[in-house]
Amino acid sequence: MFKFFIRISSFLNKELTEIFRQPRLILTLVLGPFLIMFLFGLAYPDQNRKLRTTFVVSDPEAFQNEMKAFTEAYSSAVINQGVETDKELALAKLALNQTDLVIVIPDAPFETIQNNQQAELEVYHNEVDPFQTGYIQTIAGIYVGEVNSRILQNIAEQGQQDSGSLQSGLEEAIAKTQSIRQVVPAADVNTANQVEELEKTLTDLHANLTTFRSLSSGIVVNPFYVKVNGLSGIQFSVNNFFAPSVIALLLQHLSITFASLSIVRERRSGIMELFRVAPITAFETLIGKYVSYLFFEIILAGVITALAIWGLHIPLLGHWQNYALAVIALLFTSLGVGFLISLISQTDTQAVQYSMLLLLASIFFSGFFLDLRLMAKPITALAWSLPATYGIRMLQDIMLRGASAAPFVLRGILLIGVALFVVDWFLLRRRMETA
Amino acid sequence: MNTTQNNGEAGNIVETQGLTKTFGEDVAVQSLTMQVPKGTIFGFIGPSGCGKTTTVRLLTGYYKPTSGQVSVLGKNPTEFTKSDQEKIGYLIQHFVLYPELTVWENLNFAASFYGVSPFRRGRLNKLLKFVELAEDKGKLASNLSGGMQRRLSLAATLVHNPELLFLDEPTGGIDPILRRKFWDYFKELQEQGHSLFVTTQYVGEAAYCDVVGVMYEGRLLMIETPEGLRRRAFGGDVIGIRTTEAIRFEQRHLLAELPFVRSKVKIINDQEIEVIVDEANTATPSLMEWCQAQRLNVETIEEKSPPFDDVFVKLIEKETAHV
Repeated sequence: MFKFFIRISSFLNKELTEIFRQPRLILTLVLGPFLIMFLFGLAYPDQNRKLRTTFVVSDPEAFQNEMKAFTEAYSSAVINQGVETDKELALAKLALNQTDLVIVIPDAPFETIQNNQQAELEVYHNEVDPFQTGYIQTIAGIYVGEVNSRILQNIAEQGQQDSGSLQSGLEEAIAKTQSIRQVVPAADVNTANQVEELEKTLTDLHANLTTFRSLSSGIVVNPFYVKVNGLSGIQFSVNNFFAPSVIALLLQHLSITFASLSIVRERRSGIMELFRVAPITAFETLIGKYVSYLFFEIILAGVITALAIWGLHIPLLGHWQNYALAVIALLFTSLGVGFLISLISQTDTQAVQYSMLLLLASIFFSGFFLDLRLMAKPITALAWSLPATYGIRMLQDIMLRGASAAPFVLRGILLIGVALFVVDWFLLRRRMETA
Repeated sequence: MNTTQNNGEAGNIVETQGLTKTFGEDVAVQSLTMQVPKGTIFGFIGPSGCGKTTTVRLLTGYYKPTSGQVSVLGKNPTEFTKSDQEKIGYLIQHFVLYPELTVWENLNFAASFYGVSPFRRGRLNKLLKFVELAEDKGKLASNLSGGMQRRLSLAATLVHNPELLFLDEPTGGIDPILRRKFWDYFKELQEQGHSLFVTTQYVGEAAYCDVVGVMYEGRLLMIETPEGLRRRAFGGDVIGIRTTEAIRFEQRHLLAELPFVRSKVKIINDQEIEVIVDEANTATPSLMEWCQAQRLNVETIEEKSPPFDDVFVKLIEKETAHV
């Protein structure tokens, strides 16, 4: 048993010495992720993209106020680039990237509405990115909502003004009803009741009208507004949101890269021949390698996390013990993937290619920037076969939601990790068996 | 250095019987039968690609034989336990240690790898001294010369003090002076009680071995002592005679007909010939007498040791002719 530990220690010393002999590599591994997150934060400040907007309208004077009001209300998303009367000219500017959005206001829209038809607002853009197209559609929706709201507000204001004379009429009608009620004979109960009822109806109507007139036209048109609250109570920046994903993806990639090169290099160098005839088993070899890489990568993950928390102010709302457990599970499983690559690759180049392919797959399918809930169901199986998917989910839950890792996620990644260990062990045994 | 005790027990440390290894249609080793006595330096000689490394791999348990029997340390190598494997040291043909580690770190890795106790600093230092790398223990393996890398590999092979050493072309690609030094190491290891199975394609190195196996195209042609090899190659001992006057044709003819002379006389020049005899010790006085009888004034008469390169070529020629 004592020799078992001596043998696995050989890999611990060897792998760590090889890594620590490369200070530039360590510096890159520690500072690289930190710099990526830092630059990412700088690159994407918490601002929406401002769309340079050109309005096309045949009579600029008529809609000046509406356009001004819209651009002022949505100054975080829209920059008013002025008004054109020629639609083709505006579209040419759009094609030349001199403007981002062209909003064409139809001629005589109010007449169209009065004719019981919807007036069409045309919005033009020159985007190819589906996300940007979606963003523009949202802005267009907001714009048309704003226009509709303003029209309704005008109508409401007009109604409030018009209801002034109606209210006077009502007051007169109430007074007259009161007079009639006083002259109705006491014996004519039926008529008295009807008059009283009429008076009550008129009084209620007057009260409602008073309320209507007292309401702001804005509240009449938009009686509700939305207040969105996250459970954590924190409004996360883009950087905050992506930090757990970057950490998870990076740790997966580092583990896979280290492990994928490890065994294939030894096979190529020929030392595996020595392993095969020496008193060391595949199990000892694999354990030795797992322990050495885990040891190094746990330290690395700790430093990266510390830099993220104290250097970039990324929140860690959950318990650090949960965070550590999630990171260890991620590293363990990622190492399993790396060793598998190493065992099936014939050359270093092949191993690097597999690792890069896996990184690409992880970027696209792990939920790194596309929510997994948007993914077609059959493809989610691929997503959940990647350690990064579990890692991102766990780190987001722990860091941003303050929760612990969802049990099924933690169990899932550990299950994959153990399965990979068994497969790696089997393959390495075959490699180290007598040929 | 702790040494493996060879108690002088009789017996063979390696035995094979009809050992054969094929890879598909290719026969790498064909029906190899041999015994390697304990405590000897067994040289396994043959040209590149003749099956030496395959044989070593069969003996270390790296390969399973296609057919035949093999016994190393009394066991089938494919059934070796860890403790059996600890008794074996294997020096691979090329440098397989880690270039990014220093000499000391590589040696330390090998020691852990073989399960050597952590209290091993003294032993590792002695080994480095033995292979003359004590001054270089802080150097990265990648910065070592080819010869130094071979010495480091040898030290790593010895780190667990194995009883039996398989050294696959330990002198391959290194200069003659260092090659000689390596054989000095091997002699010293033998004196310490190790048994050595050494492959080489340098035929001249046969002289350093106790017993030599000659391998050619997957077949073991013979196992002999170095001297025995010479005798087999030439059919006996070679004696060179140099006279002060020319040796005539009829004299050479008469010489060839003497009962202890084994073959035709080889003419070096008019005054110098070589003859092959049964036994150099007994034949030399008889040859002197014959020269005197022929009134030939002998300048020198001595047993010749043809270079092993010649011996090997002769043996291969004989074998090829036989086949």
